[in-house]
Amino acid sequence: MPVIELSLSGRPKSARVVGIDLGTTNSLVAYMSESGPEVVRDENGNGLVPSVVFYESDNDRLLAGEAARDNLVFEPRKAIYSVKRFMGKGSADVQEDLSLVPFKIAPASEHVIGFEMGDRVFTPPEISAFILRELKKRASRFFGEEVLQAVITVPAYFNDAQRQATKDAGHLAGLDVLRIVNEPTAASLAYGIDKRNEAVVAVYDFGGGTFDISILKLKDGIFEVLATNGDTHLGGDDIDNRLITTIVDDVERCFNRSLRGNPELFQVTRKAAIRAKHQLSTDDRAMIEIKGNDQHEEYRREITRDEFNELISDIVERTLAPCKQALKDLNLAPEQIDEVVMVGGSTRIPLVRDKVKELFKREPHLEVNADEVVALGAAIQADVLAGGRRDLLLLDVTPLSLGIETMGGVVARIIHRNATIPTSAAEMFTTWVDYQTGIDIHVLQGERELVDDCRSLAKFTLKGIPPQPAGLPRIEVRFLIDANGILTVSARDQRTNQEQSIEVKPSYGLTDDQIEKMLLDSFEFAEEDVLKRQLIEARNEAETVMRAAEKALVEHPRGLIDENEQLGIRRAIDELRQTVGTDDTQLIREKTTALDEKSHHLAELIMDGALVAAFKNRKASEVAEG
Amino acid sequence: MAEEAVNTGRDLSCICAHCGAAISAVHFCSECGKIQILSPDVDHFQFLELPRKLVVDDAALEKSFYSLSRQFHPDYFMSATELEKRASLERSSRLNDAYRTLRDRIARITYLLALEGYKESEKKAPPDLLEEVFESNMAIEEIKAAKRLSEDNVVVGARLSLETALDGLQQKLGEIDGQLTLVSQSWDDAVDQCAEQNRKTILLDRMSELLSHRSYIRHLVRAIQEEL
Repeated sequence: MPVIELSLSGRPKSARVVGIDLGTTNSLVAYMSESGPEVVRDENGNGLVPSVVFYESDNDRLLAGEAARDNLVFEPRKAIYSVKRFMGKGSADVQEDLSLVPFKIAPASEHVIGFEMGDRVFTPPEISAFILRELKKRASRFFGEEVLQAVITVPAYFNDAQRQATKDAGHLAGLDVLRIVNEPTAASLAYGIDKRNEAVVAVYDFGGGTFDISILKLKDGIFEVLATNGDTHLGGDDIDNRLITTIVDDVERCFNRSLRGNPELFQVTRKAAIRAKHQLSTDDRAMIEIKGNDQHEEYRREITRDEFNELISDIVERTLAPCKQALKDLNLAPEQIDEVVMVGGSTRIPLVRDKVKELFKREPHLEVNADEVVALGAAIQADVLAGGRRDLLLLDVTPLSLGIETMGGVVARIIHRNATIPTSAAEMFTTWVDYQTGIDIHVLQGERELVDDCRSLAKFTLKGIPPQPAGLPRIEVRFLIDANGILTVSARDQRTNQEQSIEVKPSYGLTDDQIEKMLLDSFEFAEEDVLKRQLIEARNEAETVMRAAEKALVEHPRGLIDENEQLGIRRAIDELRQTVGTDDTQLIREKTTALDEKSHHLAELIMDGALVAAFKNRKASEVAEG
Repeated sequence: MAEEAVNTGRDLSCICAHCGAAISAVHFCSECGKIQILSPDVDHFQFLELPRKLVVDDAALEKSFYSLSRQFHPDYFMSATELEKRASLERSSRLNDAYRTLRDRIARITYLLALEGYKESEKKAPPDLLEEVFESNMAIEEIKAAKRLSEDNVVVGARLSLETALDGLQQKLGEIDGQLTLVSQSWDDAVDQCAEQNRKTILLDRMSELLSHRSYIRHLVRAIQEEL
């Protein structure tokens, strides 16, 4: 560990922008090379970083990626996986998920989930931040400079809170998130970058935890999303869970005991189920073998692909409704789609391919590497944002309609789904009561008519309205969805043309204050923060040495050392002073050592002088006494 | 008034917020080339540099949308000043809104009516269809009641009459669309000829009426489809 930390320190800051696919099961980081987008790999050529975080209570630190996944089976209570499913959610949203994972939720998780790990509590953006740090570290090591800017992908059907939570995670990981890009759109970029023909393409993205369908028009380097739909709660996880539930029932009967309260055995079962699922993508049958805690307990069962298909057919079926809705929104028949592109790990399942083929009445295009294509697309978009190229342009849409609550709990839609972003809408507000100085605005996302059936985004309060008779103030409120698909609200008093102050209470997610606090808290955890601490320590040491040297020069210059030596010390002080403001820990240490060496002789002389003086004094006092 | 409708390129001259030059260009400063803050008074037609007319060349509109997207999009202003970023965000979001409105025939007419000071058309049954509308509404009530009481034979009967009504309504929608095309053409002619305001008002009134009939029938069609 220390070796890596040393080699990391003092790296120059990079102007590079990387593309990150922050997945439910695995995450990747990619960049734009001379020859095209490429995934950053480890020494073993592995590009995937498992989206798992593990809390090592002994050392009070968090591990992410491979190391965390390896610990998952041994100490499942200290690990979090599939955290993406919990982003931007409250405890009421995730009851079903919680029945399937061994995570413990902290009290007061209504607005943001808190996972209890050991005696610590972490929110989903914090957990995701540790996965992002791992990716950032991998990229920084690869480039030999600290990567600070990224494009991060999210499911197209993610709502505002889920997008914001992802952005927060990036911020917590020390990344400047230049753009949140939709996964299917990113995939289309990687797919269509070399194609110049006009085409209407459907991207069917079935990943570990989410499903998206996006229909795009590709023309002259413009990737225009026409419609998107999906289910942020439908993915390979659901298929795993279906298989796990079946096997757990079976195993419990076989071992004649409950697996509840036995998370280790549950993880063994989960691993066996996932292995079987993977095998059934290529083979007709798979063997599931599970060994219990004592040697007599052994479970074996064969599962055929037909059995598996039957088990999961309703899950796969659920991906078809969003596809049909997207087609309907555009008034398109399946035949009018020129190409269907399959991305996401779950599209490896033969049944999924069959169903898609049946719906679109054509052979879908299977991405060579369904796991990497989203990250590669993110790298291409990162290159566009870094100013690398202007021939490509993504025009994405907002997946959900935006509305405000009106009288009687009805939602008035102000921005419709599939509107190209950035997009905005303005609404005029006034007061109901004489001398009213505040107005509450409740913003929601969703397609339903009633407030209760839509997703609450936030409550905005317009404050400081000058007291006037009811109905007189005219406040124009502008709702803007930016290119990240994230809402910002601004208000202006029409009479005074003054910007109106707004207080925002997000319904789900972290407040700015909470994020700031987390940023401070995270210092004690991350390895990168070890580096920051080292930098601070190096600076402190440099200051101490400089102060001592300066003091020595001022107090004991005469006769002790010659002009040349004095000049050398002064020069060393100047050089150190110049480096101490930089982030280069290594250089600060070198210059500190250099100054230390230069002033060593003077220090010795002073020390000798002090000793002589001390002796002299003693002698004097002895003389005096004697 | 007539002149104003024709003169889409209204005097937009202003001072560039970046370099202070007086400019007459629409989107970018003619002096320093920087993207301009958007004036809220510009309407969608002016923004896209189109005359306030209703027959639009779809291919040309798309071309102009793509070309302006390439000029305005925030992707290309990542390292620009805050002011330029704001202008890029404003202009690209306005571009998206304008394109969405003007590429759709009905949205285009609705928008024109709003610009000309008309309130949103309320749903109104076409007078020549009052009888059919009345019968359809009756049949909807009937089928609802019959479904509640599980009177299958009544349901079958009501369904038949609703299906007939639906055919009639859809035919009427086709007619209205045809009439909207005609009146749109007349509007464009009136604009080209700098016609008197009262001739234009007659056309606008007609559009407003057709739209309210159209939305009434569409509402009814949806109600019938729900029951079928």
